[in-house]
Amino acid sequence: MKPPPFDYAAPETLDDALALLAGDEDAKVLAGGQSLLPLLNFRLAAPSLLVDLRRIAELRAVGRVDGSVRIGAMVTQRAAEDDDALARDVPLLREALRFVAHPQIRSRGTVGGSVAHADPAAELPAVLVALDGRVHVRSAQAQRTIAAADLYRGFLTTSLEPGEVVTAVELPAARPGTAAVCVEVAQRAGDYAVCGALVQATRNGDAPADVRVALFGVGQRPVRARSVEERLAAGPPVPELVREAAELAADGLEPQTDRQASAAYRRHLARVLVRRGLEQALERAA
Amino acid sequence: MTSFGAAIKRKEDPRLLRGDGRYLADLKLHGMTTAAVVRSPHAHAHVVRVDLSPAQADPRCVDAIAGTDVAHLPHILCIDAEETTKPFTQPLLAVGKVRYVGEPVAIVVVDGDRYDAEDVAALVEVEYDPLPAVVDAEAAAADGAPIVHEETNVCDVLHYATGDVTAIDRAPHRLKRRFTTQRHAGTPIETRGCLVEYDPRRDQLTVRTSTQTPHGVKRGLAYHLGVPQSSIRVIAPDVGGGFGTKLQIYQEEVLMCVLARRIRRPVKWVEDRWEHFVATTHGREQFHEIEVGYDDDGVVVGVRDHAVTDTGAYLARLTLVEPFIGVAMLRGPYRIPNFEATSAIVMTNKTPMNPFRGVGHIQAAQAMDGILDEVARERGLDPVAVRLRNMLRPDELPLDIGVGNVLAGPVIYDSGDYAEGLRRAAALVGYDAFRAEQERARAEGRYLGLGIACYVEETALGPYETGTVRVEPSGEIVLLTGASSSGQGHATVLAQIVADELGVAPDDVTVVHGDTDVVRDGVGTYASRSAAIAGTAARRAGQAARRKVLTIAEHLLEASADDLVLADGTVFVAGSRERSVTLAEVASAVSPFAGELPPGVETYGIEEADVFVPPTNAFPYGIHIATVEVDVETGVVTLLTLVAVSDAGRLINPLIVDGQYHGGIALGIGGALYEEIVYDEDGQPANPNFMDYLLPGVDNIPEIRLEHLVTPTPHNPDGIKGCGEGGAIGPPAAIANAVSDALSPFGIVATRTPVTPRRVYELLVDAGVVSA
Amino acid sequence: MSLHTISVTVNGRAHEAEVPARLTLADFLRERLDLTATHLGCEHGVCGACTVLVDGATARSCILLAVQVDGAAVTTLEGVAQGDELHPVQQAFWDKHGMQCGFCTPGIVLSTLELLERRPQPSREDIYRWLGGHLCRCTGYVKIVEAVEEAARNT
Repeated sequence: MKPPPFDYAAPETLDDALALLAGDEDAKVLAGGQSLLPLLNFRLAAPSLLVDLRRIAELRAVGRVDGSVRIGAMVTQRAAEDDDALARDVPLLREALRFVAHPQIRSRGTVGGSVAHADPAAELPAVLVALDGRVHVRSAQAQRTIAAADLYRGFLTTSLEPGEVVTAVELPAARPGTAAVCVEVAQRAGDYAVCGALVQATRNGDAPADVRVALFGVGQRPVRARSVEERLAAGPPVPELVREAAELAADGLEPQTDRQASAAYRRHLARVLVRRGLEQALERAA
Repeated sequence: MTSFGAAIKRKEDPRLLRGDGRYLADLKLHGMTTAAVVRSPHAHAHVVRVDLSPAQADPRCVDAIAGTDVAHLPHILCIDAEETTKPFTQPLLAVGKVRYVGEPVAIVVVDGDRYDAEDVAALVEVEYDPLPAVVDAEAAAADGAPIVHEETNVCDVLHYATGDVTAIDRAPHRLKRRFTTQRHAGTPIETRGCLVEYDPRRDQLTVRTSTQTPHGVKRGLAYHLGVPQSSIRVIAPDVGGGFGTKLQIYQEEVLMCVLARRIRRPVKWVEDRWEHFVATTHGREQFHEIEVGYDDDGVVVGVRDHAVTDTGAYLARLTLVEPFIGVAMLRGPYRIPNFEATSAIVMTNKTPMNPFRGVGHIQAAQAMDGILDEVARERGLDPVAVRLRNMLRPDELPLDIGVGNVLAGPVIYDSGDYAEGLRRAAALVGYDAFRAEQERARAEGRYLGLGIACYVEETALGPYETGTVRVEPSGEIVLLTGASSSGQGHATVLAQIVADELGVAPDDVTVVHGDTDVVRDGVGTYASRSAAIAGTAARRAGQAARRKVLTIAEHLLEASADDLVLADGTVFVAGSRERSVTLAEVASAVSPFAGELPPGVETYGIEEADVFVPPTNAFPYGIHIATVEVDVETGVVTLLTLVAVSDAGRLINPLIVDGQYHGGIALGIGGALYEEIVYDEDGQPANPNFMDYLLPGVDNIPEIRLEHLVTPTPHNPDGIKGCGEGGAIGPPAAIANAVSDALSPFGIVATRTPVTPRRVYELLVDAGVVSA
Repeated sequence: MSLHTISVTVNGRAHEAEVPARLTLADFLRERLDLTATHLGCEHGVCGACTVLVDGATARSCILLAVQVDGAAVTTLEGVAQGDELHPVQQAFWDKHGMQCGFCTPGIVLSTLELLERRPQPSREDIYRWLGGHLCRCTGYVKIVEAVEEAARNT
């Protein structure tokens, strides 16, 4: 299982990288390579050129801007996981990263790479969706940001145009006392989830809690469980309300039936995992 | 100090830990070329045209062959075919038709590496005319199914009957159930591969190959190539696991020999992981429709079984073993004299099947222990009590259970105390405490379960094994053995046996295996035979060497052999240590350099060869008990404990034995919960990779509690039965039964493995526990 | 297909080589440098047998290109023993029977080194998390875990 032939470049500036991508429609970005290299080894992809972003220092920066954290696309999952300040600001990120593959993969896999790869069973795209994050994108001609709600189109498909590269992932910082939980059903630790839920909860005394819920492994893309969130906005987070809200988790879902699970099973798991995630998050939230 | 029975560290390890292992893919020869195999992308198709010329036009291409180039060579041989078995054998390269995805169609050889070879292989043009595929054994056996070979897909049906086969019909109660075991891939972490070199000076092929049976490959190559055995040398380098996947000669080994002779340059082929999933034999796919007749106390009166094995597209070397063992060993340790079974072998458009660790016993346990639990539930009896009631007693053994086959002869259980094993397993798992906890948990809405599997296993198969012990004038001691290691530690355990005979430490015995020019004859390692058979040959050769040493020492020390002791590499007169000679001095005394032989010694040197032909098989047994918790909301099964009480007779090295059971249990857990080769309806493998074919990882293994009983077998002097496979046999039955026990309040029975979360969910939906 | 000159330090020794873009790090080590202890078990990053250290962090060399490690320092199993003496991790695997066929072992040894660097007193849970990405078909993992715990005591 050896890759087909391709050319390779490791430019030192983002502009050089974008120019290379603009000049060759069969060129592909190489970030961590943890998804791309297996495809190449199976000869399921045949790019003409790999543009390696590893030399571009600005893509490794982690910064704070207006209550959000901006994570350079080439920050490795391992670096993100080990970053205590990042964990304080975005607890959902560290929580989700625990479930991403294994440490040996996370040492090379990147935050931007996973977000751009758009595997609907992956945790990081779901983090972006849960938190209404956005990605910063550049091409040789222009730059823009894309909100999470507009990014994921379908299976491994985003709204990125050819020649566009994610340069940073921006996530809102959470208020102190926020709890973040990831619950999933996967046959083995580190596997892609059959179904998973991310829950972030911040208590507001007797007022309704601020809750974000996203589901992954439930169809072509990660899904924000808005029905659940809206139900929870109706009152303080008492167990009965939590159960009622969780029952709405499957609303609007169009899960796939595949070898691992039927659509019905995924809808069922969505309800169960959202309920468990809410219970755990609300218990942990200060 | 006796080495036999000592838990000593392995001699093999430091070298491997330093990185000095030499597995097949590590080997390089000057002038080496690299091969890649072109494989069928279709499950069933006519091969209209194979055009090698685009590949041959690539400047890197040195040679290329297709089916017509080797059509004159014999097909892969099935050595356990019965007279009734249809000859659905496999050509070395497909001719006219392909019958499974992955079937070899052509081979290219490049002056370059594997990257180049894959590039060139992609240039070969093959035109196929696809045919409908059949991927289910029942469908394949029915009228109107696509026919894989000719006339019928039912390759053979084995029949066994013993006792009064009508007794079951008169029994007060009867139950019938189907139990289904899924298709497995063996997946040693090292795939297959071979490196073949032709030496024109000796007209000899040297074949380095990742195999469990170098002598088997040698004999097979001589057969396929039509050359004398002496013109073939097979070397097994370090082998990274086998488990049955490497116990037969494969097409690729023959074909690389053909190519090496054609181009007169070494040819290397390493199987990649995708290839392994389609090109290396699969295992286990078999279901049983088992019917049991029993009385009010749950005592079984008779069993009737119809088994069907989905054996894939072609006969492989030992195709009949799974279908045979699945029914022959179905009754396990239970007293069931009235028995009738048929075992159908059905062809489908899938990769061929061959024995895989534990072969056939897994399916037997699933069916027999599965239905015994149903008997217990139906009668309201405790499952341990029902089993104890039905188990054979030690004084009933040896017992000819009335079945047998061409290869292994009649099945005669040798010795054992099955009920004691079950009692010990129940104690080890804390049976009564578990039942109490189970009840408490149920009241809280948590579902714990316990499942039992009891197996008797046929091991230590012949036909024979060899051992030669040499004591060199240097004092060096060498054992040549026909056993062939793929991780079992033979270099250590066989050294332990010989060390005891010659009064040395195991570190002083060099064990040589895997090279057919050095070890002139042998059979190989599979069926848990090496400790028992190769061990016995080593023991007897060691004993003969010891006798010769004593005869020589008698002369040198002017003492009687009865007064001599062998210890620490010397021979001395008991009670007077200063009257001693070293083994080097003993061996030098009979070197031809020394001139005349001492009296009583007829040949120069100390080299004693033994061939051990076991009189019959041995029968280790075991009881596995699994405890689980089933999450009835998600269907996820969590393993709590796995208890295994095993009796494999005497154990040479308890450390290595425990490792064999741990590994076997993990493999069994894979089959119970995670592993399944899936084909879609067009015969396309759905999961030929490690992302989708799930091997258990470190955190999928629960607490394992092992206990060993020792009932020696009478069939070899050390009483060894063989422990390599037992661990793999029990877990699927024990775990499936545990899930059924956990969900028994809902009347759910898990009759299919793997027991995945999805399967559990669907059972819960069917039972109305969860709404769809 | 492009060729690239790379400079890599492997087990403390500097190497300069011209490699095709598609050559994986695993094959660079195995075929160019004859360091064959890095094994290929799957070539899609799942089994872990090919795990090496790149600038001190574990990585799967089967899904890394040699060109990606230009300028980096790589450690393979061959670089672990200290002269003739086994490293405590290697010694522990020997003492505890933590290997059978030995094919998956190199990757596990290197992951263990990284684990003990980060967590000198790992809990069982730490060990499971760090070795969860390594597949072994022989041992059932029991004695691998015992070996890691022994190594932690002795390192």
